[in-house]
Amino acid sequence: MAEPILEVRGLKTWYHPDEGVVRAVDGASFELFEGRTLGIVGESGCGKSVTARSILRIVERPGRIEGGSILLRRREPDGSERLVDLVRLPARGREMRRIRGGEIGLVFQEPMTSLSAYHTIGNQMVEAIRLHGRFSKAEARARAIELLRMVGVPHPEARIDAYSFELSGGLRQRVMIALALAAEPRILLADEPTTALDVTTQAQILDLLRRLQAERGLAVLLITHDMGVIAEMADEVVVMYLGRAVERGPVDAIFHEPAHPYTRALLRSIPSVLARPRERLATIAGSIPHPYGRPKGCPFHPRCESARPGLCDRAVPAETRLGPRHVVACFLHAEAAESEP
Amino acid sequence: MSAPAGPLLEVQGLKKYFPIRKGLLRRVVGQVKAVDDVSFAIAPGETLSLVGESGCGKTTTARCILRAIKPTAGTIRFRTEDGRAVDVAALPRAELRPLRRRMQMIFQDPFGSLNPRMTIADIVGEPLLVNGTRDARERRRRVAELLDMVQLPTASMNRFPHAFSGGQRQRIGIARALALEPALVVADEPVSALDVSVQAQIVNLLLDLQDRLGLSYLFVAHDLSVVKHMSHRVAVMYVGRIVELAPTEDLFARPLHPYTEALLSAVPVPDPRRRSKRIVLEGEVADPSRPPPGCAFHPRCRWAVERCRREVPALREILPGRAARCHRAEELALQGVAAPSHEPTAVPGIASLRSAS
Repeated sequence: MAEPILEVRGLKTWYHPDEGVVRAVDGASFELFEGRTLGIVGESGCGKSVTARSILRIVERPGRIEGGSILLRRREPDGSERLVDLVRLPARGREMRRIRGGEIGLVFQEPMTSLSAYHTIGNQMVEAIRLHGRFSKAEARARAIELLRMVGVPHPEARIDAYSFELSGGLRQRVMIALALAAEPRILLADEPTTALDVTTQAQILDLLRRLQAERGLAVLLITHDMGVIAEMADEVVVMYLGRAVERGPVDAIFHEPAHPYTRALLRSIPSVLARPRERLATIAGSIPHPYGRPKGCPFHPRCESARPGLCDRAVPAETRLGPRHVVACFLHAEAAESEP
Repeated sequence: MSAPAGPLLEVQGLKKYFPIRKGLLRRVVGQVKAVDDVSFAIAPGETLSLVGESGCGKTTTARCILRAIKPTAGTIRFRTEDGRAVDVAALPRAELRPLRRRMQMIFQDPFGSLNPRMTIADIVGEPLLVNGTRDARERRRRVAELLDMVQLPTASMNRFPHAFSGGQRQRIGIARALALEPALVVADEPVSALDVSVQAQIVNLLLDLQDRLGLSYLFVAHDLSVVKHMSHRVAVMYVGRIVELAPTEDLFARPLHPYTEALLSAVPVPDPRRRSKRIVLEGEVADPSRPPPGCAFHPRCRWAVERCRREVPALREILPGRAARCHRAEELALQGVAAPSHEPTAVPGIASLRSAS
């Protein structure tokens, strides 16, 4: 397979409030490839959104990237490529600003808060287009209309002068996607892009993302809590729990040969339209710990059915490779791998 | 249990219109028909789910039943303890009090619905106090019992809501709703704010409590997967109207309304091997202040014919126990979601409930 366009290695992003430390992301590694979708999935507090913020270098104080690297393969004007470690760039510097919203397009959950209510969508798009390319105002406006048409906004010539609050949730999300594509990014970072939408609108937006990806070879980093959306969209999956990537691999392996006890338990506990009516769900005992009360050892051990006292509550399991691309961080597999000749 | 025959709740022709006012004189220039001629019934021990997308009128329907808002028209007949049926829609406010004990609500947001300055004992005990349990010891005994019922440690009684996780707070809300031994619990999106692993616990708890206490649920939800796990029957709403009403299994396996079909098809299935060709609806939900003529769904319906553009379809019984609001319900063979074959689950009191039409 080709080289990854984005590679995150051992990322650690910690928050230092007045007391204690919150290890929001504590060792996450993954790779993103052109034309493919990497899904990051997990429940609240798992660090999936902080991972996204770290990549964009918009982690707010008192948070800080403490370690690891975020390697972006940048394309130079002459067509050559160069690896840049985003962790080493100044967050507010010129290069990072070109990458954020330029090489990496952004789509967030709530387009109402990410779009300005004071400017027409056209003005916002023209600004974004001109920020990342040399266009006259008229050219940029024509291009904005073209982008709106491409993402399926009806009557784009009229809608371009609307304000975001005049649009429905689904249309706003389409505008958000058009805005993200304005600078011709190679990576699209979508953080819960359909969570605020109704299910039929969600289907429309997922369809749109798939079509755009096929047309433009975009690498999509899709962050969501919804295993259904992951199953639908992702090629590769990273499962996170309390700041750690506990398992990652091809989507089929994650859903059909899940190796981490958390992944297995999570998959069993999802309600399904295929279930028998009134069927009880499998549950995971307990609840997600408070960020200050992070368990020692493997963060999942207090809720894990297979946890072994004296091991899982003391040491943090390293990653074990189960297949060419399937990796799990769990002692169950570490031992099995060691005992093999 | 000697449950009286017939439904616990019977809603007939329920309407809730909100006026649109304009201009200096705030003249009424139109109506938003948030709920427009909704009828259904719920048997004792039964769960009926109201599903649909934002703005379909499911929450407004629930609020009318609780009389949080006064309906524009229609009757809401609710069975009292002594077996009489009273019309909640017509009762003056003062006479609602005794009925409210028998109808309780569980909210979506376990963070916003609990007073942060009250202890759990006070929150759960408040309905008891208001309804005449003056003895503090007796109240604490009952609160302990209720916490036990929702699987919270009774020792946590003196703590405040902030000390609890989202799932635990939802349990507190449930304990409070059960304090006065209601017959009907209206649950508006009770698990949609929760993480998956916690959501499963609450779904199971609601199912267990229903079996134990013989509760009826009106379950308002947008998530069809959760609805499948919770309900005996399902009513699908679109632009203020019920478009289909059926036993859960039948509705999912073989929908009779094209909107139900599209809704089912849009749900992402957590299995990458089942990435199916889904039906993606064109356009957007109709504006309830200016619904299209004929069937409100026709502009988005792939089966629409000329008649659908002219004539509003009635909610008709198409098969025994199954109603749909579609001119073409008999002739269309719509796709459901295939499930492993098995026996359909028994629906309590379904034989006595044929009030769908």
